[in-house]
Formats: sequence, C-alpha cells, structure tokens
Amino acid sequence: MEELRKPIGRRSLLKAGGFVAASGALGAVWALVTGTGGGASTSGSVRRRARWIKTVVRPTLGETNADYKRFSGKDIFAIYMQLKTQRDGAGSFEAEQASKAKRLVEWINERKPGFSLPDQQLSEGAWTVMRSARPGTGLLSWTRSSARTPTELSAPRYAASPEEMASTVKAAARLYGARLVGIAPMNESYVNLQVPPEDEKEKDKDIVIEDVDVPAVTDTKFVIPRKMKWVVAIAIPMDLDLLSRSPTALGDAASALGYSHSAFVVSSLAVFIRGLGYEAIPCVNDTAQSIPFALDAGIGELSRLNKLVTPEFGPAVRLCKVFTDLPMAYDKPVDFGLVKFCKTCKKCAEACPSRALSFDDEPSFKTKGPWNNPGHKAWFEDSYKCFQYWQKSGSACGVCLASCPYTKGDQAWIHEAVKATASIAPAADGVFRIMDNAFGYGKQHDPEQWWTKDQPSGRRG
Amino acid sequence: MTNDDDLFTITMRKRPWWFWFLAGVWLQLEVVLVQTALASVRESEYRAATISWIAAAVLAAAGVFGWLRRGQSRRLGESNEQP
Repeated sequence: MEELRKPIGRRSLLKAGGFVAASGALGAVWALVTGTGGGASTSGSVRRRARWIKTVVRPTLGETNADYKRFSGKDIFAIYMQLKTQRDGAGSFEAEQASKAKRLVEWINERKPGFSLPDQQLSEGAWTVMRSARPGTGLLSWTRSSARTPTELSAPRYAASPEEMASTVKAAARLYGARLVGIAPMNESYVNLQVPPEDEKEKDKDIVIEDVDVPAVTDTKFVIPRKMKWVVAIAIPMDLDLLSRSPTALGDAASALGYSHSAFVVSSLAVFIRGLGYEAIPCVNDTAQSIPFALDAGIGELSRLNKLVTPEFGPAVRLCKVFTDLPMAYDKPVDFGLVKFCKTCKKCAEACPSRALSFDDEPSFKTKGPWNNPGHKAWFEDSYKCFQYWQKSGSACGVCLASCPYTKGDQAWIHEAVKATASIAPAADGVFRIMDNAFGYGKQHDPEQWWTKDQPSGRRG
Repeated sequence: MTNDDDLFTITMRKRPWWFWFLAGVWLQLEVVLVQTALASVRESEYRAATISWIAAAVLAAAGVFGWLRRGQSRRLGESNEQP
C-alpha cells in the first residue's frame, strides 16, 4: 500500500496544479479584460483607464451638421419660466413657484422623509461654494490670481513638453478633487453666445472670442482670447448615498455638492495654471457647453439621457472645464459600448417620473424644444416636462441619474466585469439590463436611513 | 520477474481536464458572488446582497454535492472490485 500511495500523490499534485492553473488562467483573462494598463490613453496622464475603454477618432454620438451653432447660453430655468407663461398664461409660473414653496413648508412641518428641515438645509449648505461662484468674478474670476505669477517672481514661465504639461495639469486637478480629467481642443462652436445676468433686470452679456492676450470681463461682454486652444475637461463624481435618495432634497444635496466641488476644482486649477505663467478661465456650467468638451476629451459618451455617461461613474458626475493657453497634448474620445447599450436598455426613460426622456430606438437630429441646441445627433429630452416635475416634486429629481445601470458603487468587482463585457459583447446588453432590475439597482433608498447611518460613506461612483 | 499472483488491478478514474477547468470557474464564481454580497451590503444594495448570498449558497451546495457524489461512487466502485 505504501508503494501505491506515491503515484496517487503525484496525480493529486498534478490535479491540484491543473486546478490552480485553471483558476489562474481565468483570473488572468479577467484582469486582462477589466484591468488597467492598455485602455484609453489619457495623454501624459499618470493614471490609465481600464482596457475596455477604447479610444476612437470621433465621439460615438453627438455628430454635428451645418445647423450646429453656438448655443444661447440661456439658463434652462429661464426657458422654462418663459414657456410656462406662454402655455399657461401670465402669472402661472409665479403661482407654481408659490405653490411649491408652500408645499415645501408643509413637508417641513410634517417631517416628510427626504424633505424635513435637516434634509432641505443639507442641500442649502451644499450649495454654499457654488452660490458664491459667478462667471467672471470671485471664485470664477477670469484674471485674478491668489498665487504669485512667474512674472511677479521674476522667473520664466513653466515650460515642458505637451505630454508633461498635460500630466502636470491633470495631477493638480486630481489633487483638487477631479476624478476624471481630459484635454480637448478648443471648439468655438461649443462656447455660449451669452452669459445670463445675475440680476434679472440686467441684460445678457455677450461672449466674444478675440485676438487679445488676456481674458477680460467688461460691463458689456466677456472676452476669451483666441490663443486659448486647450480645454481641461473635468468630471466630479456625485455622492451616490445621497443621489440614491432622489427625488428628494437629499438627492438635491448630491447635485449641489457636485457643483460646489466643481467650483472649487476649476478655481483652484485656474490659479495653479496662472501660477505657471499662463492664462486660465474657470467655468462650471457657464460660458460653454460642458458635454461636448467632455466628449472630445474622452471623459465619457453621450447617452439616452442626452447627458454624458462616464465608464467609471455613469451619469452621476458634474462637469466643469478650464480654458487655457497652456499647450498640452490632447486626449481622444472614448468608446466603451455605451451607445449600443442605451439602444437596448431604456431604463432611464422608464424610470423618469415625467416621461421626459426619449424611448426612440435610434438617436436623431430632431430636437424637442428651445432648450436643445439643434444640429447634433442625440436622444433629445423634453426639459419642459422635466422641469415641471421639479416643481411638482419640490426637488431637482435626479431619478434618471440614479437609475442608470452605469451608476454603481466601486466596491463590487462584478460591476467592472459587467461593464467590460458590455463594451465588447453588445448581445449581452439585454441580459445585463434584466439583471440590473432583478438585483434591485436604481430604486430609491430610504431617505430617513441616510441620517441614521453610523458614518455617511460619501460613496462615490 | 513478476509473478502473476502478485498482480492486482486498481481502477483509477482520471478526471478529465474540463473537470478541473470547471472547478476553477466554480471557485472564481464563488469568490465573486461572496465579494458581491459583501460589497452590496457596504453599498446599501440589500436586494443585490441577498441574491448574491443565495446564489453563493446554492453554488456552494452544488459544488459540495458534486464532490460528495463523486466520492461515494468511487468508494462503491472500489468495493465492487474487491474480490
């Protein structure tokens, strides 16, 4: 018996080896598909994205035609106000606002979950930084620098290769709070025509692009120097713990915090760039369209929401940008299979309480209203319905952002594997959509529970 | 030289290569399901966590059943071949 054990022992060893090899091979395939190292290049960046995020020459959606022109820049809320008055008569907008305000107070008294006094004030607090950020002034000043510039230091301005410059700027942006950063070429057609006034009694100010050395803000216009040919496009993830409580005041706090973080990041980055000896214009939602710049910079793809969806954080991001004359290597648009996924999924359109999102199978050039900029291909949304629901719900909704299957936390490995598979196998998109529903993702979390969490995780993407 | 009286037969069932491959897949699935369950709890996705726990338990039970069944049939085979 003693002799017989030896060959059996070797066999067991071989079996174990085969078992380990099989596991290892699968693990290697997994790492190859989902891991980082060969994915979308972020030129000069110290970090690389997952391999399944491929770079492409042009954005997968958003192609433009001759009708594409600079957008008015008019605030969507102002457009809604105008349309509401046109459709429902004079005073209808004001009456709606009064009704909403009254309802919000009633909900405070009732301690309605998601709209209690702490819930509503949490959002107000989160807006603080953004509320002090107006285009061209204060935090978003186009010229002011709290750091001493090289000229003031009697030093030459910083010089390096475009790749090194891009890497330096991205590293700084990440330090300030950006999670996704890309460099896009300036495209003047993405720049808004006007900046709406802070005070309704004042007039809009034109945005002009001129051959000047430094940006300027005058009483009548905002001047962008034509030499600013680089745009740092930035995505700031929203807090998923809050967003998953949408549509409530807690969900609003996720948006508000995203905006305030954006204002902090772009203003800090502008000061940094000026400190290197270059010009910088920090923008949040103002001055230009953030989405097309983010598309060109490879931050994400255009989705059924008619908003940017990033591979890492889904649509749960806030976008902002900095214009500069600091020469940097450009990034390329990305393709991670989103447009094909959106054609199959439609979960956001079904989840939208106001039915404002498109159910069309294919994107088109057909816009839905004056809030859409014509001349580009997209799944256009009905912002009027969307804003009407905002008034009714007493919140800025956000259900579409929370329901998107790409809006996931970063804790579970399986999410990365699913996204990787969707990028190469669109045939599986329908199954992933069914699984997403079955697992209960995208449903509203209990608003009251947020306050009783031992430690709000601040979970992001 | 070996005397024929000294010879005896041992029947050894060699598991095919795909068995070990499937075992590897099984192990990886188990790891992924358990990780998903734990991560889903951290992300407050309780339905996803519950489904993942159930799937992990069912898969584990299936694996254990498979091993036990195999072991049982081997013992039976050995007993059948005893003179």
